[in-house]
Amino acid sequence: MRIVIGEDEALLRQGLVHVLGHTGHTVCGAAADAPELARLVAEHEPDLLVTDIRMPPGNTDDGLRAALALHRGPAATPVVLLSQHLQRRYARELLAERPTGVGYLLKQRIADIATFVADLERVAAGGTVLDPEIVALMAARARLDDDAFGGLSPRQQEVLRHMAEGRSNAAIGRTLGVTEKAVIGQISRIYETLGLPPTDDDHRRVLAVVRYLAG
Amino acid sequence: MRAGPWSLPARTITCQGLIMPLGRTPLSRSLAGALVALAAVFGVLGLVTVALVLPTPGPRGAYVGLVVIAWAYVAAGVVAWWQRPSNAIGALLVAGGGAWSLAALANTQVPELIAVGAVAATTPVAVLVQLLLAFPSGRLRGPAARVVVGAAWVTVLVLQAPGYLFVREPAPYHLLEIADRPDLAALGGLAQRVVGALVVVATVVLVVGRLRATDRERRRVLLPLAVYGLLAVVMVPLGAAVADLVGLDPTTLGVVQIVALAGVPVAFVTGLLRGGFARTGEIEELATWLGGADGRPGLARACARALGDPTAQVVFWLPGTERYVDAEGEPAQLPAAGSGRAAVEVELGGRRVGAIAYDATFLADPEPVAAAGRVLALAVDRERLVAELRASDVALRRSRLRLVEAADRERRRIARDLHDGLQVRLVLLALDAQRFADDVAPELRDRAVALRTGIDDAATELRGHVHAVMPAALVERGLAAATEDLVDRVPLPTRLDLDLEDGTLPPAIESTAYFVVAEGLANALRHAHARSLAVRVVATRGTVSVEVSDDGAGGAVNGMRGLADRVGAVGGSLVVDSPAGGGTRVSVELPCGS
Repeated sequence: MRIVIGEDEALLRQGLVHVLGHTGHTVCGAAADAPELARLVAEHEPDLLVTDIRMPPGNTDDGLRAALALHRGPAATPVVLLSQHLQRRYARELLAERPTGVGYLLKQRIADIATFVADLERVAAGGTVLDPEIVALMAARARLDDDAFGGLSPRQQEVLRHMAEGRSNAAIGRTLGVTEKAVIGQISRIYETLGLPPTDDDHRRVLAVVRYLAG
Repeated sequence: MRAGPWSLPARTITCQGLIMPLGRTPLSRSLAGALVALAAVFGVLGLVTVALVLPTPGPRGAYVGLVVIAWAYVAAGVVAWWQRPSNAIGALLVAGGGAWSLAALANTQVPELIAVGAVAATTPVAVLVQLLLAFPSGRLRGPAARVVVGAAWVTVLVLQAPGYLFVREPAPYHLLEIADRPDLAALGGLAQRVVGALVVVATVVLVVGRLRATDRERRRVLLPLAVYGLLAVVMVPLGAAVADLVGLDPTTLGVVQIVALAGVPVAFVTGLLRGGFARTGEIEELATWLGGADGRPGLARACARALGDPTAQVVFWLPGTERYVDAEGEPAQLPAAGSGRAAVEVELGGRRVGAIAYDATFLADPEPVAAAGRVLALAVDRERLVAELRASDVALRRSRLRLVEAADRERRRIARDLHDGLQVRLVLLALDAQRFADDVAPELRDRAVALRTGIDDAATELRGHVHAVMPAALVERGLAAATEDLVDRVPLPTRLDLDLEDGTLPPAIESTAYFVVAEGLANALRHAHARSLAVRVVATRGTVSVEVSDDGAGGAVNGMRGLADRVGAVGGSLVVDSPAGGGTRVSVELPCGS
């Protein structure tokens, strides 16, 4: 997989290039600011863009805005956002228009190399990956707010949380100590509770997550 | 109280260290001279009149009496005019003296003077009506009073005319006759009596109405004056009839009439000066000098008026900080050369107290400005103290704001340094630890992974600290995003009501509002035993309102001293409403100067 990196801290940029290069992927460009990021993506048309949110020149959310523009553009470049602090608002914006091929992770997750690289691959393949911390935050809010999610059982909410983190049914089953079939059963009841139309399963999966998180 | 014509201007006029223009100023000397001259003219005219009426047969005492009445009016008028230059009663009394003087001429033997006297014969009555209705301000207030006074003057000037135009009289009383028409003369006399009676009745009605509308203290003075004045009005036309009724001989009647009528101006001037209106008069003087109590700095206004330059400004010198400030204490600059404006320094006893800035294109010569400066120096010096106090207040406010801004800058710098430094280092350290775990022998791997997760935990802790110092959401987006992020992390149902646009507020206001929400939520979670919370942040034109409320125990006592200081420093206000058992509501208003 061909990856473009956006990170203004030189040491971390090199660390990312190193980690990804050693896991069989090609880093075809590493940008230190938002305009360079846009230029490198246009030039290399990568399979994935991994970028910091806070970047020069504005040092606010320049990386996020550049990434969103690229993700919503004609190339629909899959995007993984990295940040020192997670906000529900950013997750919502990321999922708003095209909730596939997006990821939002704490920078610290890079250290768990295997999980991190697996998450990147899932996003490049069109999946949705959210940091467990932001999922926990959103789940807590969803529980506190009296809405459709109140109708979900604790177990269903747990399953939904794992879905939002981008885990497969088999992986969820392993974590919860149940069969994959049981997980699939829970998921279809979740769809029912949330009133999602029976269409393509992947689409419904993303919709459930988006609805869950946007609340 | 109904605002009657005798209701007086507001008594509370604050006098901000201004010097009243009392004492012997050039203007008061000029007024005194004019009044002395006026009195002298009337004195001489009176003596001439006396000399001219003495040869006339008839009650000579009454002839002289009219002149005495005129003198009494003029004397009272001059006293009132001198004591209350801006009050028209003085001028009105002098006019009354004039009316009596002219009327007195009817008793001479000179045909032309007799004619003048015939024309003016009843004018004193109109003056008296006007005096009654214009007291104590000297001005007629309300259309009714103006109509009545107008009718009075018509009665004494116009309706008087048939009495001398259409009556055949022997010389020397014949000068004004144009036809011998007793019928017209009788008609005119009737009209004059009817209208005159109406005027008297209307005057009584108006005066009684005003007496009822005024307060007790003033009524005590006004009531005898009004009764006396009205009796005098009635006595002029009806005196003879009354005398007949009570069997008074004509000489006694004449003496009584003259004493009574001469007493009228004395009564009015006494009422004006001693009857509780003295203070009003002084305040009117002051208000006139100040140009009204409408809040505009009196000094600048007086100066602008004196120079005829409405743009003239008075600024004050602060010797401590070696700079000029305006009346509000805000730093002021003297006009630069070539700007079309110029300034003249004001000195008092050789030390600089201020300056007058003026439009140099209108006032080419600085000398009148310097002269105004010399006159105003004492007042400028007094006003300077107020300006100095205001300036130090402004400086204090600014310095508090600067402290808050400096603290915010420091917080931002620390947060940024941690974000760019230590947080990155911990990611890299954890990365190294993980790589190490991947490389080492399986028996060491667990320990290496534990090292990595230990570093991750440290990073999580650090994230919390960075967030507390200056949250990323505030730096990257603004108050709305940061407030939402804050509420997201509250472990209780929390209603969020946001109405503002990020990127529009000054940083100090934004961070102050944020810390209000943060501390308000933290306090509620710590102490309130609340079940739910609500946060409201609304930016309207010029103000940001922040409200954090809970449904908890209430009874919170000021745990927000630091926050209140911070809010005060940016010019806002903080109110904590926390009745026992009734929840707590922290409300903050911040100015955002948009």
